[in-house]
Amino acid sequence: MKMFSSYLKEMKIASRGFYFYIEILVAVILLLVVLFAINPEPDGKQVEYLYYDMSDEVFDYLVDKDITEGRARWIDDTEFELNPIAFELKNEDTGKVVSYDFKDSKTVTARTFVGLREKTGKIGKTAHILDSEEDALRLSFQNGNVAATTTVNEEGDFSYRYFLQGYETDRYSNMLYVLHTYSQDEIDAQMDTQVIRETGANTVPMDNQEAVVPIFVVIAGALMGIFIIMAYVFLDKDEGVIKAFAVTPSSIWNYLVTKIFVVMTTVIISSTIIVIPIMKLRPNYLLFYLFLLVTTFAFSSLGLLISSFFDTISKAFGVLYTIMITLALPAFSYYISSFDPVWLRFFPTYPALQVMKDLLMGQGDIANVILYSLVFLVSGILLLAMANSRFKKTLTV
Amino acid sequence: MIKVENLYHSYNNNEKFQAKNVSFEIKEGEVFGFLGPSGAGKSTVQNILTGLLPLQKGKVTVDGYDLKQVHNKRFNRIGVSFEQSNIYSKLTALENLKYYADLFDVPTRDPEELLKLVGLEGKGNDRAGSFSKGMKHRLTFARSMINNPKIWFLDEPTTGLDPAIAATIKDIIRSEKAKGTTSFLTTHNMYIADELCDRVAFIIDGEIKLIDTPKNLKQQYGEKLVEIEYVKEGEIYKETLKTVDDSDKEKIANIIKSYEIKTMHSKEATLEEIFIQVTGRGLI
Repeated sequence: MKMFSSYLKEMKIASRGFYFYIEILVAVILLLVVLFAINPEPDGKQVEYLYYDMSDEVFDYLVDKDITEGRARWIDDTEFELNPIAFELKNEDTGKVVSYDFKDSKTVTARTFVGLREKTGKIGKTAHILDSEEDALRLSFQNGNVAATTTVNEEGDFSYRYFLQGYETDRYSNMLYVLHTYSQDEIDAQMDTQVIRETGANTVPMDNQEAVVPIFVVIAGALMGIFIIMAYVFLDKDEGVIKAFAVTPSSIWNYLVTKIFVVMTTVIISSTIIVIPIMKLRPNYLLFYLFLLVTTFAFSSLGLLISSFFDTISKAFGVLYTIMITLALPAFSYYISSFDPVWLRFFPTYPALQVMKDLLMGQGDIANVILYSLVFLVSGILLLAMANSRFKKTLTV
Repeated sequence: MIKVENLYHSYNNNEKFQAKNVSFEIKEGEVFGFLGPSGAGKSTVQNILTGLLPLQKGKVTVDGYDLKQVHNKRFNRIGVSFEQSNIYSKLTALENLKYYADLFDVPTRDPEELLKLVGLEGKGNDRAGSFSKGMKHRLTFARSMINNPKIWFLDEPTTGLDPAIAATIKDIIRSEKAKGTTSFLTTHNMYIADELCDRVAFIIDGEIKLIDTPKNLKQQYGEKLVEIEYVKEGEIYKETLKTVDDSDKEKIANIIKSYEIKTMHSKEATLEEIFIQVTGRGLI
């Protein structure tokens, strides 16, 4: 009863204050950004300008094969306005530089097809087929996209020339090189030696919109949880109400747990605002909310422990900032798959992010989720016990 | 109700004590004044008695509870009115009182009745943050009564209040005393102490210099004085003379015989004057 009364009081205070709305406002803004500014298709903006230097029969054979096998489909022709443009091309193999200077303007029409992703059937790239290599090149440099020329010689061998912009990664360049340097048999043989582990049956990858959700949910639950709970405690210290609480039969434990409940409520609201409209029915919501609550509990307890060492939020700010930045580091690994050092896996936000991602994709292994939930729960209890012990000595001093 | 024996407290856990060898006892129903200037150690002792500071050295029992152990239940019979108003500014006055009422395990007073008692009638639904300093102080004072405390700690209960409201607060303290409430009143205002307290303790530099009733102190330390205002050669003169001093007695008789008396009052020494006399220090 006391705890419920404290919770209601805290919710009233929170709802009449600034911090409560920060997280909800951030959630609403992020939802709008995700829905209206992020293209859901991964690499959906990949555009190529192609020129096929071959007979119509060979060309039809090549494209028809992709279309009949469901990897591509024709869409309406696209009209492009070619503007005057000057640029240089450097051959990476010979180092030879060729300058181009086009002074005319003209309109060209390109046959256009879209490449479809194997599992989702969603658009992966858009390819425009131009009538000349020169037009493909002009468009490539005008719009900053890749151009490619495919040629068939008299012996029937294919040769490929790619015109890259210079910002592409080595991995991408090498992939293009490997793709056309080795025979299909050699590539297949090499691929057969690779060990491929399926992380989930019939896994459908996240699109660009969905990929933002785990980051927000973990960052909101963890980092905002830490920040907001500290703000609440320091507001109480500033108003002196903790002293008034300390001379009632209620325990400090009650006070601290109530604060955590308030942060949990805020995190549930803000996460729901983002998760349901974007992920729809994909996640297992029971497991999702369970994991969200235990992670928020653990990180809020950490926030309480930190705040027990300081009198004011300004004194705590240095430590708070350092911890928040540190805990946010796994987000880089989430977005940059090549950045995944072992030491990063010891940060609590790393497993939180991975488990949350799996849960939101609807493929979380229940045993794994429960295991990590228990780890976060036990960690939270230990942190809360330490915070409680420290607050008994420092809360009213 | 309260027994303090050889209490010591140091904020830095060293030999620089803010409370030194403090001992006193307060009986049930007594209003005990703890008087001293700022920094004398009044709040330190009160904070130990209310559990806001840990007991480092000495023996303290409040309402039968040994303060060496934690007994949250004891707060059901304790009320604390803080010097600095400490209420939730985002809650209304009524919400503040109702919330605190829910924290106790004993029957509590009607919040509306308490607001009326301290002159905040009609302000129950206003946010405490919009209150003036005096109104916040009164709300803090009202909150301290929510659980019908048997031991009441009052820290500067009338500071910053206008005379009319201060008089109301003093009446409330008297009425609670009549009900048998034991009060521990911390103040540097000797007039309040004189009016309300059964006994007072003078504390300075963390040490209690004396404990007695205001009446005994005045008898023991106060001088009987007469303040005379008289007209001499067209001008008004004012003198304060001792009624126990032979030369002053002669002077009083001479003034009465020779001049026109405008006013003449007998005058007792104030607690403040006695405090200065005993401790050699003022109260500010």
